Amino acid sequence: MARISLRNVGKRYDDVVALAECNLEIADREFVVLVGPSGSGKTTLLRIIAGLEHMSAGDVWFDERRVNDVDVGDRDIAMVFQNYGLYPHMSVYDNMAFGLRRRKLAPADIDARVRRTAQLLDIAPLLARRPRQLSGGQRQRVALGRAIVRDPAVFLLDEPLSNLDAHLRVQMRAEILKVHRAVTATAVYVTHDQVEALTMGDRIVVMHQGRIQQVGTPAELYDNPVNRFVAGFIGTPAMGFIECSVERTGNEVALRAGDARVGLAPQRAQAVDRASTVVVGVRPERLSLVDDASAHADTLTVRGVVQVVEMLGSEQYVHVEVPAGMLTARVTRDRPVKPEEIVTLRAAARHLHLFDAATGAALTAPVRGEI
Amino acid sequence: MRASRIVQAIALGLALAWSLAPIYWMLATSFKNELEASALDPTLWPHAATLDNYRGLVGGTLPFPTFFVNTVVTCLATAAVAVAIALPAAYALSRARFRSRGAVAYGILVSRMLPLVVLLAPLYLLLLHAHLLDSNLGLVVGFTTFGLPFAVWMLKTFIDAVPIEIEESARVDGYPRWQILLRVVVPLILPGVLTTATFVFMDAWNNLIFPLSFMTTLEKQTLPAALVVSFTGQFKTDWGGMMAAATVTTLPLMVAFFAVQRSMVRGLTAGAVAGV
Repeated sequence: MARISLRNVGKRYDDVVALAECNLEIADREFVVLVGPSGSGKTTLLRIIAGLEHMSAGDVWFDERRVNDVDVGDRDIAMVFQNYGLYPHMSVYDNMAFGLRRRKLAPADIDARVRRTAQLLDIAPLLARRPRQLSGGQRQRVALGRAIVRDPAVFLLDEPLSNLDAHLRVQMRAEILKVHRAVTATAVYVTHDQVEALTMGDRIVVMHQGRIQQVGTPAELYDNPVNRFVAGFIGTPAMGFIECSVERTGNEVALRAGDARVGLAPQRAQAVDRASTVVVGVRPERLSLVDDASAHADTLTVRGVVQVVEMLGSEQYVHVEVPAGMLTARVTRDRPVKPEEIVTLRAAARHLHLFDAATGAALTAPVRGEI
Repeated sequence: MRASRIVQAIALGLALAWSLAPIYWMLATSFKNELEASALDPTLWPHAATLDNYRGLVGGTLPFPTFFVNTVVTCLATAAVAVAIALPAAYALSRARFRSRGAVAYGILVSRMLPLVVLLAPLYLLLLHAHLLDSNLGLVVGFTTFGLPFAVWMLKTFIDAVPIEIEESARVDGYPRWQILLRVVVPLILPGVLTTATFVFMDAWNNLIFPLSFMTTLEKQTLPAALVVSFTGQFKTDWGGMMAAATVTTLPLMVAFFAVQRSMVRGLTAGAVAGV
């Protein structure tokens, strides 16, 4: 149980800035996921929370306690490493008991805790084995068990599922959430997999180039990404982008890409301000394939050449090259599509995301709730 | 194809004969009687094999068992002291990040780069002033000076190979560094520790010049030095006795070598490619 506050945390290695101005409040018992591509600083930030890495600037607080100079072992944290970090020379039982023995608990108490945790994680039959006698999934469970057996205030997980096969990964996601509900720890979970982030996090922190890009619930990030990076990173298949010029006639503002033209509602037109070009983002599920190529003022209707078709059984992803960009449409398989085919895509104007062409910052989010 | 194999076999046979010939000669001579051993027309194998030379080692005028004990004690002590000092040093070099790490690592090696004789005079003076000449302790100090650099580097190589997450787990579990070293790292690199200790032990065992220079009392001498001092007289040399003593001196080393040769090669080659 602990609130975690990061205040202006920064980290530099000589001339390289690994982290800059990271501010984050994590509530007690929250499950927060740090997500970003490799090199985004997410693991460094996690290791700073753990105390395994020194920071160059800022403060880390656990509740009312500033822990900058508190040693790892005194922070009341537990950590699950990507490669598990199990003690190879100890049995599963001793792996779990090692941290408890350091805390000078009574042997009977240690035994009870280890057995209870092993029960929770279905590893009770494995207690006498050594780590090398376990499968990847079993090692993962032992690593989880070793972390929670101490009942830590903060539970840190560094890409714990990345060494497992796809099937096991989905199973372990649920397992980790179950474990988190069973303990009272605040959890911080690092992953590069945005699907993992969306499915697991109470809140998600998107990181890129050492900076926190956006913090929000999965729905907030998906519906209202604050910039082009978050928009493109969250969601599969990824959001498509096209560059549009802005046309103003009297009070009306419209966007144009090639032959395609779409009018903007007054409220959104205001946000575009004086920009001459904007980047339009469209989620794949908002696009449909249409036969009728006639333009409407409140829809974006663009023609393009199909590049790739991905068949997913129930549906298909159609990647289409359009003037000034690439769009991906997620559509049913009712209409067969072949590469090289010329198709027409349509999305309602209110579903478009608009981004500043230079900075990538979101200009306005799609309008929700209206017809 | 077949011809090249024959050439290979001949080449290997010659190399093997070249390597083993002195050892054979040592063994053969150790079983010859005095007359045969010093004959002007040497025999290839002992015609009248005898164990007299070996009996002479135990029951003779020279305190041969004492030499043996001296050597074992000083060499074991050297191995223990060198590993005890080298372990924390190697751990720091492997895991700590500090500016002069490379310089320190190579600085440790300097005494190893010098020829043994160069160390002799300064060591002699140091031991003289510390009143450690002609003592087993002084000999251990001398052997350790020479064995330590190698022990540090070899152990560092083994520690480098331990995944850092394992140690970080122990830090998260609340253990201080020295306990992590003893309870997590050392058990994981135990073969490496034993190999390093054996290497230092063998190095000390082979050292002739230090005991010859530092020890004056015959009864405190080590085997290799005693071999040189005891068996060469002014008028005659007891070849048979010397070779029996040499055999007894060699055997423990060979046993030690075969016990660890596999992991020793691993430690040496790993050290060859791993950077600081």
